[in-house]
Amino acid sequence: MNQSNIETLIDAGKKRKADFVEIYEEESRNSSISLRDQKIEQSLAATDYGIGIRLVYGTDVLYAYTSNDDQQHLLSLIHLLADSRGEVANGSGTFTLPGDVSKYSFSKNIHDPRKVPPFRRLELLQTADSVARKVSSKIIQVGVSASDIVTNVLIANSEGLWVEDLRVRSRFFLSVTAENKGERFVASESPGALKGFEFFEGLAVEDIAQKAGERALFMLDAGYIEGKKMPVVMGNGFGGVIFHEACGHPLETEAIRKKSSPFVGKLGESIAQSCLTAYDDGTIEEQYGSLKVDDEGMPTQKTLLIENGILKAYLADRIGSMETGSARTGSGRRESYQYAPVSRMRNTYIEAGKDSLDEMFASVDFGLYAKRMGGGSVNPATGEFNFAVEEGYVIRNGKISEPVRGATLIGKGHEILPKISMVGKDLELAAGTCGASSGSIPVTVGQPSLKVDEILVGGR
Amino acid sequence: MDLEQAAGFVLEEGKRYGIDSFDLIATDSEDIGIEVFKGRIVSTETSRSRGVGIRVLNNSRPGYSYSERFSKEALSQMVRDAMDQTEITDPLDMELPGPKPLAEVDLKHYNPALEKLDFAWMREQGLALDQASWESDKRVENVPHVGVGKSSTQSLIANSKGVFVKKESNVAYLGTGLVVAEGDIKKMGSYYRSGRDISQFDPSYIAKEAAYRGTELLGAKPLSSGVYTIVLGNRISPQIFGMFSSPYFADAVQKGSSRLVGKLGNEVASSALSIYCEAHTPDYPGSRLVDAEGIPTSARTKVLENGILKSYLYNLESAKKDNVLPTGHGVRSYSGRAGTSFSNMIVPLGNKTRDELLASDSHCILVTKLEGGAGCSAVSGEISIGVQGIYYKNGKPEHAVDRITMNTNYFDLLHKIQGISNEYSDSYSSIKVPDILISEIHVAG
Repeated sequence: MNQSNIETLIDAGKKRKADFVEIYEEESRNSSISLRDQKIEQSLAATDYGIGIRLVYGTDVLYAYTSNDDQQHLLSLIHLLADSRGEVANGSGTFTLPGDVSKYSFSKNIHDPRKVPPFRRLELLQTADSVARKVSSKIIQVGVSASDIVTNVLIANSEGLWVEDLRVRSRFFLSVTAENKGERFVASESPGALKGFEFFEGLAVEDIAQKAGERALFMLDAGYIEGKKMPVVMGNGFGGVIFHEACGHPLETEAIRKKSSPFVGKLGESIAQSCLTAYDDGTIEEQYGSLKVDDEGMPTQKTLLIENGILKAYLADRIGSMETGSARTGSGRRESYQYAPVSRMRNTYIEAGKDSLDEMFASVDFGLYAKRMGGGSVNPATGEFNFAVEEGYVIRNGKISEPVRGATLIGKGHEILPKISMVGKDLELAAGTCGASSGSIPVTVGQPSLKVDEILVGGR
Repeated sequence: MDLEQAAGFVLEEGKRYGIDSFDLIATDSEDIGIEVFKGRIVSTETSRSRGVGIRVLNNSRPGYSYSERFSKEALSQMVRDAMDQTEITDPLDMELPGPKPLAEVDLKHYNPALEKLDFAWMREQGLALDQASWESDKRVENVPHVGVGKSSTQSLIANSKGVFVKKESNVAYLGTGLVVAEGDIKKMGSYYRSGRDISQFDPSYIAKEAAYRGTELLGAKPLSSGVYTIVLGNRISPQIFGMFSSPYFADAVQKGSSRLVGKLGNEVASSALSIYCEAHTPDYPGSRLVDAEGIPTSARTKVLENGILKSYLYNLESAKKDNVLPTGHGVRSYSGRAGTSFSNMIVPLGNKTRDELLASDSHCILVTKLEGGAGCSAVSGEISIGVQGIYYKNGKPEHAVDRITMNTNYFDLLHKIQGISNEYSDSYSSIKVPDILISEIHVAG
């Protein structure tokens, strides 16, 4: 979209008395290739395109989106939105964007995936498939895919902001199914980064496939843990999904502004033990959830959420900031032009602590070592969460014992936080996809190994 | 370009490039909606999204692409992109169908009256529902979610053999999600009505139902761990059965992702259970006369009958692989590859009331809420999930329960079904499952 068209649209919104007008244009080139049953299941290259228009009156948000860039159509959407409030036009002057566009590109030396022929990705998939199948004849299926997306974003607003950002992300996904006498177990891996094809070139595909195959095989024969409350040692890396869901979402101003979080009014208060410090950081180089600017055009930052157990900040977008009084943190995010931005996490993690994994095990007579988590979810309003354990072990008399499958962790985030009593030294981050009101977005979760003194473990 | 013009242009481009065989899916949808919070319209949204996706078969090699731009340049690029993919893909043994007559059934997926619903109507309904939600029970502490909206969609399926089917549908919704509190305990209750009959959109009724769903769980206590008889309430039994629909898909069976491999004709469930796919029921959201690959659908496909596995669901590719006729269960969005799905998944009604099911054991848990689905795997059948509900003793409700988990395996659960109620929930859903009585389920508390 050119400058003149943008200015005309912003002017139209201002004439309909909007306090704030924002234009968001996005074009994505995405490609993916997937292999299953040792055949290419899909090879795709495609284009997504659309424009989002946001009018803000006070803190009321009016949003329109379309994949039709005809200027008259875009103007009609602005008038449709304003009509919905009964706002009549006034005669203010023509809007002009001051200054030059700010252009960002997070990765300066990307290997542009658009210039990589599909067979280069196919080689990776075939390698992963071959390695995983060689682990055992009990490996009956391997699904593997490689995808990348190159997104050009333009954000302009009535405050004179005009930003363009180039974002390149890549992701690898592998699932391995093992079978024995009708029983099946699926192990999966899904690393990702804010990088181009160099991400795949540097990926230890053989190692990833080998470990996933071994885990599927190992867990296939695992029994079940007896369900009850017990101490849980949580593994590092993707274990951070529990903090992301149970504590991160309730710290977003999208929940705070609707009084729909157990952390409303708790700033400055102790919500965890002093061993726990947590951040949400959008600036980490090449991490999957990183951004140079958020989807409102604000540079991202490293936000201290909890310091030594004390709640320090919420994650705020423009509207959340206005309604809660919290400073904006560069956390306005959306899946695409099809969503208005709201406060969302970026790379969320618990900082490394002082304890060793062995010390944590030694402190447990009987409990669960949740080495790898599956997915999970939370109801921010009540704090109730539910997480699946993909790889778990019984801890007995301070030692790791037999593997267990099918375990689930449930509880309330704000009640679990104070029960985190030990924090390990082994911080690790892992890529994920987070779904909430502004769609599914790339994020990173992470933590060192943790000990939770008591949590309800589902089993049989 | 409108939808038909875009589809026509892509069909011509396909011919111009000499592609052997190809099909396309195109959709164009318009949505408007509002959200209300504390008597204010805090969010208003309108959208128009459209896209066209092509699948080409060039020398039997498939390639996919799609575009959300409807310019000639973008659509032509899309066709070339799809052709480029065929250079690396493996051959696919599949033939696209030619046009066939479709059943003459009015599916009632379009109500012209909905097109007249505007923001003024939404404002009136939303504000009324917000107020009714706050007034629905004295224990209502917050009403974070009140939404009203409608959407209209045109979709089109076409292929190089002459299939060209266009469909128009619309739907509206009105709903609330509220938080009720008693002491330190908070519970959420939600209730949405959707469909094309807006006479059912009574804000007062919707608010009271949402409040009931929250307040019935106040005062909840955990139960001690053990083995219990449970009743999956008809609000959540569709969630469980929906999560485990893929084991019935032929492609999942063929690719090792289903434990139902080799079970056709075998007893895989209690004789109390049947599962049908019904595609021609008027006003059901999943109903369709033709699937996403141009195959006419059947009014009823018997998948499971009296516990016996009768049929898998097939799309073009999986049918060719098993050398059977496709059953009309291909699905595809313009941006995705072809898959398989139920149209409407129907578990026929039983002949007992829910109360009769709950009285069948001296200790019974009525499960009314699931805590997410992360502990469920359609491949392994694993179910390990937090649940909430009501504990019944000798057929009488004792107290609400929470902080418990239900642990079982779907394929074991099918054999443990002891009874099915005579009532579906009133949700506008393509999955209809009554209350289900199941014995011997591990519960941790």
